[in-house]
Amino acid sequence: MECSHIPEINYRKFSDNIHSKVVAERIPIDGTIETSYRCNLNCVHCYCNLPARDKTAVQQELSFREICDIVDQIVKEGCLWLSFTGGEPLIRKDFIDIYSYAKKKGLIITLLTNGTLITPEIADYLQEWPPFSAEITLYGITRKTYESVTRVPGSFERCLEGINLLLERKVPLKLKTTVTSLNKHELWEIKEYVESLGIEFRFDPVLNPRLDGSQEPCRFRISPEEVVELDLADEKRLQTWREFCQKFWGPPQSDKLYVCGAGLSSFLINPYGELYMCLLSRNPGHNLRQGSFKEGWRDFIPEILEQKPEGEYKCAKCDLFSLCNQCPGWAQLETGSKNKPIDYLCQITNLRAEALRKEVKRK
Amino acid sequence: MSFLDKVYKKSDSIVFRKIADEFILVPIRQNVGDLESISTLNEVAARIWELIDGEKKVREIKDKIVEEFEVTPQQAEKDLIEYLKQLKKISAIEG
Repeated sequence: MECSHIPEINYRKFSDNIHSKVVAERIPIDGTIETSYRCNLNCVHCYCNLPARDKTAVQQELSFREICDIVDQIVKEGCLWLSFTGGEPLIRKDFIDIYSYAKKKGLIITLLTNGTLITPEIADYLQEWPPFSAEITLYGITRKTYESVTRVPGSFERCLEGINLLLERKVPLKLKTTVTSLNKHELWEIKEYVESLGIEFRFDPVLNPRLDGSQEPCRFRISPEEVVELDLADEKRLQTWREFCQKFWGPPQSDKLYVCGAGLSSFLINPYGELYMCLLSRNPGHNLRQGSFKEGWRDFIPEILEQKPEGEYKCAKCDLFSLCNQCPGWAQLETGSKNKPIDYLCQITNLRAEALRKEVKRK
Repeated sequence: MSFLDKVYKKSDSIVFRKIADEFILVPIRQNVGDLESISTLNEVAARIWELIDGEKKVREIKDKIVEEFEVTPQQAEKDLIEYLKQLKKISAIEG
């Protein structure tokens, strides 16, 4: 008999160990559920937001019962980490019931929220039944900048209130921002503020089109030069690129279209029950109102993973592939073809490679 | 009361999951477990967890373990004492 004690292992180590096992066995351990595309904010760059009272969306969204049924199915197939996102998850009056149901099934939950709808009651609940982390996006350090992005007066104060309500109760919290042309000048101040709270901070400097095909968010992108400047200014970020570059230099090692790892152990379900392998590759989906999660995971997604590029596929020959955010789903949204490189990302990648080459030469 | 006559029940603040042949205890409530680390169980510990049902005495659990695994009654008892102590410490069981 082995010693029957309970080894407590570091969370990161556990995560790394189990991820290598689940990829080999293709277990859907990482899930995301978008509970609604509706949102009380109206961010200029959002890829999906619908008005808070959009009646058609409300009618089409999965019911509480349907979501519970899906939660039961994903738990059965081995999901452990689940993110709730939107739109704004808390826009649904039944969100806490959904969260509670998932929590009590033993899912480790991340809640992605804009923070503005967090009330003392919701914060109390999250204190009692804590998520792995709540993640709030802070678009500015001043009202003017924050609300130039969210386009809702009063939202800055409400966001700060939400942050404070969670901080007071020691709910695990992460803060982040999306860098746009409207708030780029406040990025480092946001970082300073967040780190002064003792909270982990990260940012995303690249915007993608809306899921409905609108290119409107792209109008608020920062330039490729600015993206690379941010890479170079943030040592943690730069180090990640250096390591990535050392490990994976050269063209993709596979002849498949999807080489990013999506769909191997992760999935996404939209507010209407469509199952996808990730946030950006949305065409087509597997409808969970008509088929089971198991069928979608075991039959539908593997078919997508087997897809090969049709016709010319420049990325397949590109040495800079590992330094690039190119993604077939994103390309479909922006260029109309999964095969066609996104110019903006090519420009960023070339500049990034140049910057890293210069760094190597200097050393 | 002797340790072997005690009866334990599982706390509803922790959930047992089996994923990719790993046995995991997921704390779901404030002050239960630690979010920075995760508790994993070996095969015997997972079986003991299954057997804790608010009705069986520790003695009955011990007998089952001796029956199902290659272990002496003395060793099984020693391990059970240690294991149940640890489960109590992380508030996974009550009793």
